[in-house]
Amino acid sequence: MFAFLSSQPVQTALIVGSCAALVSALIGVFTVLRGNAFAGHALADVSSAGGAASFLWGISPLLGFLGMAWIAAFGMEFLGVRKARERDLATGIVLGAGLGLSALFLYLDVTTTSTTGAAVSVMFGSLFAISQGLIWPAILAVLAVFLLVGLFYRPLILTAVDPDLATLRGVSPRWMGLLQLLVLGLAVAVCALAIGAVLATALLIGPAGAAIRLSRRPAQAIFWAMMIALTAVWSGIWMAYESYYWFSGNAWPVSFFVVVLIFLFYLLAMFGSSWQHKYRRRGITSLRRLQEP
Amino acid sequence: MYRAESNELSPSKLFRRHTGAGRRFLPMLPLLLGLGAAQMAAADTIHAVGVENEYANVISQIGGKYVEVSAIESNPNTDPHTFEASPAVAREIAAAQLVVRNGVGYDSWAKKILAADPNSKREVIVVQDLLHLPDSTKNPHLWYKPETMPAVVKAVAASLSKLDPAHAAFFKANVQKFDASLKPWYAAIASFKAKYPHTPVAVTEPVADYMLQAAGCDLKTPWNLQAAIMNGTDPAPQDVSIQNQLFKNHQVKVFLYNQQVTDSLTASFLNNAKAAHIPVVGVYETMPTGYTYQSWMLAEVNALRASVENGTSTTVLK
Repeated sequence: MFAFLSSQPVQTALIVGSCAALVSALIGVFTVLRGNAFAGHALADVSSAGGAASFLWGISPLLGFLGMAWIAAFGMEFLGVRKARERDLATGIVLGAGLGLSALFLYLDVTTTSTTGAAVSVMFGSLFAISQGLIWPAILAVLAVFLLVGLFYRPLILTAVDPDLATLRGVSPRWMGLLQLLVLGLAVAVCALAIGAVLATALLIGPAGAAIRLSRRPAQAIFWAMMIALTAVWSGIWMAYESYYWFSGNAWPVSFFVVVLIFLFYLLAMFGSSWQHKYRRRGITSLRRLQEP
Repeated sequence: MYRAESNELSPSKLFRRHTGAGRRFLPMLPLLLGLGAAQMAAADTIHAVGVENEYANVISQIGGKYVEVSAIESNPNTDPHTFEASPAVAREIAAAQLVVRNGVGYDSWAKKILAADPNSKREVIVVQDLLHLPDSTKNPHLWYKPETMPAVVKAVAASLSKLDPAHAAFFKANVQKFDASLKPWYAAIASFKAKYPHTPVAVTEPVADYMLQAAGCDLKTPWNLQAAIMNGTDPAPQDVSIQNQLFKNHQVKVFLYNQQVTDSLTASFLNNAKAAHIPVVGVYETMPTGYTYQSWMLAEVNALRASVENGTSTTVLK
């Protein structure tokens, strides 16, 4: 255990991983409540183009992911539509274009620069290979998200569960939508940095999806999502570290363990909540009623 | 094993070739067909491709003015492992009369291009086969092995003599000249080994490992870390810690850093080595500009020696 905690790559992985877990749990709950899981996934995928471009231009990968996530977010909002079906279409279109861009940037990475691992680390993450210089930017991104959500907690929740009611109460849906995308972009960037753009979805909606099954109140759901995400990330890092000894030096990737654990937690939460329904017969909770129109 | 079939210049080859000479001759083709094929063969140069530029350099040293050589992998700022062939490269390789490639999965794209365009008259030399190495060979950077190039030039001379029998003596003389020119490099390796036996060294990836082993160095970096950096996969934190300890505790005399495979991890190793005042020697996957194969290899050994002897860093070969 001492060797585990005193290892510098493990320390960096634990800090950046915890940042990703906390921010994704918080934003994930809003995203799932708003029915935006697909948009969240698309943002994460599209941010890979920014990650790939960061290798090309020699800028911080966090900035790359963030820039592209915001561009995509505003693109979706611009094409955005009220009806769920049309929203999915706009999201899908932006997703396709974004992934095409990242195919181009990854090609340029390997053909014009000396970055061999770009494709793997952008798409699937290399938590143990993150440079220490990214610790503070990641922490700052998380603080910014917590500050923004803390300031606008009630209007954000209201807009997420019932936009019409929020408008009646005088909340500007446009500004709240914009704020939601702003923080979603930040969360996606930190997640993509930690476990890769393609796998960021798992962290963004997995713990939140499980937590919403466990708790009826948004605040409680956020708390549970954070616990699940932190447990998955910390155990994932520990298992990847230990796998070095299981496979005689050929350690398995961290991202794999984190994602598998999140999936297991989701299954547990699903069975847990159906068991709860069966035996406690408490009826539909307030939160779930709001969630399903 | 390398394929060695006879190759005579045929009219169909004139159409395939896209080199300057080929293009110029094309409009005159009916005229040329009237002439004897033997006369043509004597007047024309052989078109050869060295998939990696160090092999191209060696081909041109053997073939001299009778060969026109192009290299595919020569950009010093990219990693040849991740090379993607363009249609132009495919045409160039398919049109060549002699192709030398490394093998061991380093240029499997070239293998596919050659297989897609079979030509019994094309001479193909696979360095892996020349050295009788299995596909499971872990380190593909064969040109850093001292015994590699003498075998390559011998095979190149044999193939060139088949393509242009009139100049076989010329090629043979060049082989002897080449072998003699490797002597300073061998002497530098032997003298380093004698004076600094078992020098502990750290590396980023296995690019120069064969040469370091020949020089009697003790490679301290775990193989799995070298492989992870070479292949762009996740490194194990344990291996990263071992490497950082090597620098921190001054357990290595020199750090060999591959200029063509870099990421945040190799950059952090570079910083740690500099912080611990461990000299750094830059090594390359492909031959840097301004060098021949022999002068490049000699420069690497001299840089290694300078680092151990005087603590001098040579990050970039100039």
